[in-house]
Amino acid sequence: MRWLGYVVRRLLMAVLVLVSVSIVTFVIARVIPSDPAAAWVGPHPTPAQIAKAREELALDRPLYEQYLRYVTALLRGDFGTSVKSHQPISRDLRNYLPATMELVLAAMLVAVVVGVPLGVLSGARKGSLFDHLTRLASVAGVSVPTFWLALLLQLLFFAKLRLLPLGSRISNELALYNPIRQITGMYTLDSILTGNWAGLRDTLVHLILPALTLATYPIGLAIRMTRSTMLEVLSERYILAARAAGISERAILFVLALKNAIIPTITVLGLSFVYSLTGAMLVEVIFSWPGLGTYLTDAVLNIDFPVIVTVTLVVTVFYVVVNLILDLVQAALDPRVTLR
Amino acid sequence: MSEPLLSVEELQVRFQTYAGRVHAVNGMTFEVGRGEFFGLVGESGCGKSVTGLAILGMIPRGGAVASGRIRFHGEDLLTKSDAQMRAIRGRHIAMIFQDPAATLNPVFTIGSQIVRVIRQHTSISPEEARRRALETLDAVALPDPPRIFRAYPHELSGGMQQRVMIAMALSCGAELLIADEPTTALDVTIQAQILGLLAEIRRRQGVSILLITHNLGVVAETCDRVAVAYAGRVVEVGRVEDVLFRPVHPYTQGLLAALPRAGQAKESLLSIPGSVPDGLALPSGCAFHPRCASAVELCRSGEPALTVVGPDGHRVACHLFRREGAA
Ligand SMILES: Nc1ncnc2c1ncn2[C@@H]1O[C@H](COP(=O)(O)OP(=O)(O)OP(=O)(O)O)[C@@H](O)[C@H]1O
Ligand SMILES: [Mg+2]
Repeated sequence: MRWLGYVVRRLLMAVLVLVSVSIVTFVIARVIPSDPAAAWVGPHPTPAQIAKAREELALDRPLYEQYLRYVTALLRGDFGTSVKSHQPISRDLRNYLPATMELVLAAMLVAVVVGVPLGVLSGARKGSLFDHLTRLASVAGVSVPTFWLALLLQLLFFAKLRLLPLGSRISNELALYNPIRQITGMYTLDSILTGNWAGLRDTLVHLILPALTLATYPIGLAIRMTRSTMLEVLSERYILAARAAGISERAILFVLALKNAIIPTITVLGLSFVYSLTGAMLVEVIFSWPGLGTYLTDAVLNIDFPVIVTVTLVVTVFYVVVNLILDLVQAALDPRVTLR
Repeated sequence: MSEPLLSVEELQVRFQTYAGRVHAVNGMTFEVGRGEFFGLVGESGCGKSVTGLAILGMIPRGGAVASGRIRFHGEDLLTKSDAQMRAIRGRHIAMIFQDPAATLNPVFTIGSQIVRVIRQHTSISPEEARRRALETLDAVALPDPPRIFRAYPHELSGGMQQRVMIAMALSCGAELLIADEPTTALDVTIQAQILGLLAEIRRRQGVSILLITHNLGVVAETCDRVAVAYAGRVVEVGRVEDVLFRPVHPYTQGLLAALPRAGQAKESLLSIPGSVPDGLALPSGCAFHPRCASAVELCRSGEPALTVVGPDGHRVACHLFRREGAA
């Protein structure tokens, strides 16, 4: 298949990217004037304790040797230990990464389901009241401050209407009586896989507000992007020809035009997804969502370099993979795109 | 001629633009008979395409029919609803355009595009629609229909793309095919092939063809009858032999005199002085009078009506002829 060779080549290139990123982050982590050994030991250390920690952490070794040790450990799935919590980072990742993935994927799903149709209709009815309102909504979605919207939603749906929970991923009762057996760490998926319907319901109820909050920005993006490419596509002659052939307006907009117009939208949403993996920090904090953004922020505040380096690598992997997927999707949608 | 398949009567189309009101079509009148190959010729901007789109009920945004009638099978199309017109388009009246490369959707296969049109207008199964699509591809003399069916538009040459468009237009058995400059974007040899194909399809399937073009040579070769349009109005109409070989209107005469002929030196080519009027501000009376060498006072004030001047419906809209005829 024409895809296979291409994918293999792209993955090999991805390895190169990862090696470079790991070197750069590693070096930055080491040359910044701060002492990981001191951080490791905790408050008020004695010089002897620091020296011992330095040896334990192999900080007395040459830089290249430290890097090689680090990479060898990585290949065994050992991301090192958090300086702050003294916990293996891989264990933290198993909790935080799926939590974030679940939140961000839900937000992206909302963005596609809401933003794309609005963009299509708004482009199709350019200049109408609907178009003006939708564009207003898209500007609002992109520019409304996340924390303000989050607090507003909490006030409305938790405090006033008592419809939705304030935060966290599941309720205490569920954790007690109907715990979700973890497979992927994404609770929606796990509860479906294990047939835990009470768990699914509880998870979804907790997911609504943070996902909506996080989705406002990509919804705005999706509307804007879809609308502008639709305007371009709808003025194409093949759309005129489809109308002349009596094709229904719905098929023209949502099949014939949209397949031509969707690629830029998918691209910005893909990149927005990668950004949100660590960029959803505010939403995570406000909704007590134990995610990667919070984890990274804590690590930065505590100068917890092993964590910083690891999260950077994880995000890089996502970036590379998402870009590859975007290219494949583009090739699948447009036969004129050649994979090289 | 018995009742024509299509008759356009005193059609007026106007566009509201920022610059003002554009008179795109100003009393277009002509008839296309069953199985007839009819040419609509005129210079750029004289309202040919807008007339074609008006027949399909697809006047671009900002434009509207101001008056007139469009009858198809005797029924007035201008009174039909959007849904009724959508059911007529592609099924009873089909249209093909200039530049087939831009007219086919680049991200769908040829087959899926034809099948979509067929399934839009009939309730046959996907397999049946596929079979019919393959048949129509075969009917327009495309080699290896199954391969073309699977191909994407960019994998075909311009001539093949236009054949595909014709196949798609005829896939639901349309009685009228409006072809708007179907060969302008193609090489000369391919042009001749496409025109030959249209002529053959007309002969074989009895489809009426309304060929929109600015090329009198093409009309002379393919059409039975022709209407010459100027500033959105038909100035002369009749059988090709009459209009092109015994032209009466000074504009038609000018157009024919401007045609290059074998054995004629370039510099002796005549062209009509002046330029095509702007739809924003049409001349009074006969729109052609500012460019007409024989214009008289009456031409500036009164609009001439189409009057029969010869056999087989040869008609012309010109005061001069009337005067001569009356004299
Ligand atoms: N969407 C539109 N808005 C405003 N004016 C228009 C529009 N479409 C056409 N017109 C005007 O209507 C007139 C007729 O245009 P039309 O496209 O029918 O010309 P045509 O005879 O097909 O010319 P060509 O040979 O260049 O295709 C032109 O003066 C043009 O400016
Ligand atoms: Mg035109």
